[in-house]
Amino acid sequence: MTKVIIVGGGWSGCSAAITAEKAGAKVTLIERTDMLIGLGNVGGIMRNNGRYTAAEENICLGANELFEITDKVARHKNVDFPGHKHAYLYDVTKVEPLVGKILKDKGINIMLTSRANDIIMEGRKIKGIVLADGNVVEGDVFIETTGSTGPMGNCTRYGNGCAMCILRCPSFGPRISISMRAGVEDILGQRGDGSYGAFSGSCELSKDSLSEEIKEKLNKKGVVILPVPQEDINLEKLDMKVCQQYSLKEFSENIVLLDTGHIKLMTPFYPLEKLRKIKGLERARYEDPYSGGKGNSIRYLSIAPRNNALKVNGVDNLLCAGEKSGLFVGHTEAMSTGSLAGHNSVRLSSGMPLLELPRNTVIGDIIAHANEEIKNKEGLKKRYTFAGSIFFDRMKEMGAYSIDNDEIKRKIQRLNLLNIYNERLV
Amino acid sequence: MQKRQVCIDAGSEYCPCYLAETNNCIICSQLQGKEFCDCNWSGVCVYHELLMNSSKIRQQRDYYNSTIENITRIGKDCYLLRLKVTKTLARQLKEPGSYVFLRDEKLPQYFDVPMSIMHSDVVNSKITVAFKVIGAKTNSLIKCDESLLVKGPYWNGIYGLRKLKSVKEKKCMVIARGISQAPALLAIEKLVKNKNKVILILDKGSIGEPFISDFIKEMNIDIYEEDLMTDKGKALISYVLLSEDIALVYSAGSDLVHMKIIKILEELQLDPYLAVTNNNEICCGEGICGACIIRLKNGTKAKACKTQIDSRKIIERRVIFD
Repeated sequence: MTKVIIVGGGWSGCSAAITAEKAGAKVTLIERTDMLIGLGNVGGIMRNNGRYTAAEENICLGANELFEITDKVARHKNVDFPGHKHAYLYDVTKVEPLVGKILKDKGINIMLTSRANDIIMEGRKIKGIVLADGNVVEGDVFIETTGSTGPMGNCTRYGNGCAMCILRCPSFGPRISISMRAGVEDILGQRGDGSYGAFSGSCELSKDSLSEEIKEKLNKKGVVILPVPQEDINLEKLDMKVCQQYSLKEFSENIVLLDTGHIKLMTPFYPLEKLRKIKGLERARYEDPYSGGKGNSIRYLSIAPRNNALKVNGVDNLLCAGEKSGLFVGHTEAMSTGSLAGHNSVRLSSGMPLLELPRNTVIGDIIAHANEEIKNKEGLKKRYTFAGSIFFDRMKEMGAYSIDNDEIKRKIQRLNLLNIYNERLV
Repeated sequence: MQKRQVCIDAGSEYCPCYLAETNNCIICSQLQGKEFCDCNWSGVCVYHELLMNSSKIRQQRDYYNSTIENITRIGKDCYLLRLKVTKTLARQLKEPGSYVFLRDEKLPQYFDVPMSIMHSDVVNSKITVAFKVIGAKTNSLIKCDESLLVKGPYWNGIYGLRKLKSVKEKKCMVIARGISQAPALLAIEKLVKNKNKVILILDKGSIGEPFISDFIKEMNIDIYEEDLMTDKGKALISYVLLSEDIALVYSAGSDLVHMKIIKILEELQLDPYLAVTNNNEICCGEGICGACIIRLKNGTKAKACKTQIDSRKIIERRVIFD
């Protein structure tokens, strides 16, 4: 039985675990913290704009499980906010245990609080992952879903220092770049000004710290927009952000709050003193990152060069997904790449040709497009997401954006890919 | 790709040190001149610590003027030295692997001699060391009768400290020979404190005296006395290893003793945790002077005064060259 080892238990790692298991692998998922889904514990935005199309494509391909969870625990459905339509906002306080359960039920070996610290190579192949406690986890194929965020030194060097985000590096130790340990150099994302990395794009406020009026409105509608005092409008901050789909003028002139259980504040960081000048936010405090008044995590410092089947170049048995596989933003993007990498891990181990999703699927196109763009300098300054910015524009231009479930299903069927992830390969 | 090393001082009150300031940090890739994180995490981000301290290093170790309580001869050219120190220093030197530098205050700094702590009396703020006169530095110590300069604390006197400190409720074998009985005592105290059953194999060696006897007689440990360099000694070690389920072996002796133990373990195909005394020549203790640098088989260089290294790798290399 093929032994697949996945390093990183975020959305992409969990997605990969499920599809690898369905394709017939024995799966071990290594996660350094005590929770799965990583940044998914503080995210929550699904199905906005083109993500709707991508979510449905994933479901048709057979990667339905995690979307079913996020749909089920959505606090709000079909929410519109500036630049975004039909968003689903899942409850970040409910998702993680459900994901853990589904993985366990599938017999996936989840190793929490187990930090990968190094690798053992044999020629161009990875033989095992060395954990921080010295134990070695051996496998046939490895999937790197370690992300590209942090650790502390990077957040210090390229950001405003550790802001104590959900990744909790000081407590659980840093991520490592498996591909780099295997001798493959990382690709680095850049900001508009050419400096490396980018700030995470949003913070979360404690719901109980907001005024009753705002709370009530958020509970009812899912979104509240408050104007920023004229003297505090800072358009420059948009350039720093990861999430270019939210880098709109509206997000500078207004405070956009979304209800995901916590309250999502769509800005990388915002000094608490200034935030508290806004009516209804006088008692506001941060939930994530705890020091959201000062900074946020730095991302895109560790992307592996890979092909469109998500196999890492230069290492024979390593695949990658999530932010590790490109300048992607968002849960849907992580699940899309994760599911493909998981499926391909079994193909790779059994010598079958790897699955490349055709470019007339939005998932296949984003994977291929991001890979083309990353090769040029300007492309390194862009982010690729179904939810907005350049890739959503591209989707619309090509007529790929759809919120018609039947249409999306027909397309996947026509491509002979319906439920492909549900096929047991070995 | 950076070779992974563990710095004993990372996260201590002396970190970041001069190595961080000069882009030679043992663990932090950013402070080795690289652009991105790839450290061997030790619980703190050294780079963050340095920047949060206005890019200045922490205050480094000081010299203390310490009164000599007494100095006793315990064998040929061997002495037990008890010093009065500050309460803080006594507490800092309570862990296995602790060492200090000693020097006659009238002599220049290059007379600093590293000395393993044998015992630290935290209540009365006294430390005890044992030494053998072998050269200029140790020779100058016996000429002092009132006071000495003490610089410390340092902690890298043992390789394999992580396991030595964390093993609990297991059976452990401690092998102590000659003057290395001294650095065995703190380790035995730690192992006993962690509810381990300690089997001590004691070899007087060239000192001719089992001088830690007085310190261990109250402890509930099994003690065998034997010359380790004889076949009988080897047979005894093998017997203990085979008859007891030994989780950790700590070898306090020369590199030849370490090598002997490693060979016995290989012959018996046993693989307990291994901790050994650090026998490198240490001069400054700060990773600066370069005297203790060793080259391992894989081409890595390590500063023995601050770096924790796999006992087997270091011994194999040193014995081949010595």
